[in-house]
Amino acid sequence: MDALWVSGEVANFTRSRQGHCYFTLKDDRAQLRCVLFARDAARLPTDPQEGMQLRVFGSLTLYEARGDYQLTARRVEAEGGEGLWRLAFEKLRSRLEAEGLLDPAGKRRLPRFPGTVGVVTSPTGAALHDILTVLRRRAPWVRVLVRPTRVQGEGASQEIAAALAALDESGLADVIIVGRGGGSVEDLWAFNEEPVARAIAACATPVVSAVGHEVDVTISDLVADLRAPTPSAAAEAVTPDRAAVLEQLAGVPERLARGLRGTLERRRLRLDRSLSRVARAMERRLVAPRQEADLAAARLERGLLRLLERRRSQLSGAAGRLHALSPLAVLERGYSVARTREGKVLRRVEELPAGRTFVLRVVDGTVACASAGPLGPLEGEGT
Amino acid sequence: MTQPKKKAQTARDEPPTLEGRLKRLEEILSQLEADEVELERALVLFEEGVALVRDAEKVLSETELRVEELLARGGTAPLEEEGA
Repeated sequence: MDALWVSGEVANFTRSRQGHCYFTLKDDRAQLRCVLFARDAARLPTDPQEGMQLRVFGSLTLYEARGDYQLTARRVEAEGGEGLWRLAFEKLRSRLEAEGLLDPAGKRRLPRFPGTVGVVTSPTGAALHDILTVLRRRAPWVRVLVRPTRVQGEGASQEIAAALAALDESGLADVIIVGRGGGSVEDLWAFNEEPVARAIAACATPVVSAVGHEVDVTISDLVADLRAPTPSAAAEAVTPDRAAVLEQLAGVPERLARGLRGTLERRRLRLDRSLSRVARAMERRLVAPRQEADLAAARLERGLLRLLERRRSQLSGAAGRLHALSPLAVLERGYSVARTREGKVLRRVEELPAGRTFVLRVVDGTVACASAGPLGPLEGEGT
Repeated sequence: MTQPKKKAQTARDEPPTLEGRLKRLEEILSQLEADEVELERALVLFEEGVALVRDAEKVLSETELRVEELLARGGTAPLEEEGA
């Protein structure tokens, strides 16, 4: 029998352990039992919800055991474009969101100057070509490390996940771009599946997701650290512009020199400050000793003056006493001394017999004399 | 499987990356511009900084993009580009 499209509301959708799906399509007048075998069911993004409007493509077959006709479906689509895809997307998204995998706070920052850019994509796709073109122009010094993978078809999401894990575990990439060029919803579907989402979340390396065109938003975009609208945009996002970096570098030597000058200047200021601090400290410490010295000097001076004074008066007293004792003073008073020529003092009469010559010392000189002999007893004293 | 952090791995085998150089340059600048460097140290930093600028400029003047493939065993090989 020819294949045909049937549309209706879905009811009693069940999936067997083998992966076969059974459901009923109905409208207000009729109903039709349908089966979707595992092979085709694997392409369903998610199970349809009860009551959803579906379009089913298949052929009518007879289920002989029960004598019933049923529709053996080959394709199942939701009415209204992307219904099933949208549903699967929202389901996974809310689950990942509940786990915190979409939390903006968990996003890692991309390195500003990656040395190696990892790329997970198809080796033959437009995405790789676009990425390399941008990198050649913008940051040719980087090393690009590609982990080729299929990006569509059955099992693609597991392959992408494995490629991400391998690149991450190699530790060689500073940032990873995962993605592919544009395509249908179905073509991009691997990037809406859980394995890719989990693999991105598990990466220690920051991941940029770039799937399809600007309008396509995938689960991969939401989990990644950055969503780039296209692969080219991803390549731009992970690398700095050479001209910008060179410009930034151009200012560095001047900044270095300024820093060095600043250090010198600060050093000098600090030296000045500590020198004047030392000077002030010494000043402070000298105040007391200096006062003491001043006081001591004054005391010493006074003491010296007093001593001098005392010595002077002692001296003049001694001079007076000395004068009083001086023989000259006796001679001054009118006494004289008789001596032999040899200088022996003649004190007694018997030493001066008549004719004896002697020398008489008077106050202003000496006179040669001769004795005329003794005169007898003394008449009076002092003359 | 736990993997040693990538920085330790690459630092030993390869010359410092552009990012490493620029990061070091930032460190040097912030140290020189801060207050606490000794004069002798500042001179050393200044010279290192100037050398880093020269190195970075040399890296940036690189024109040939290296494109490699990460092989299944973990090694790398130049990638054959289709139509390139």
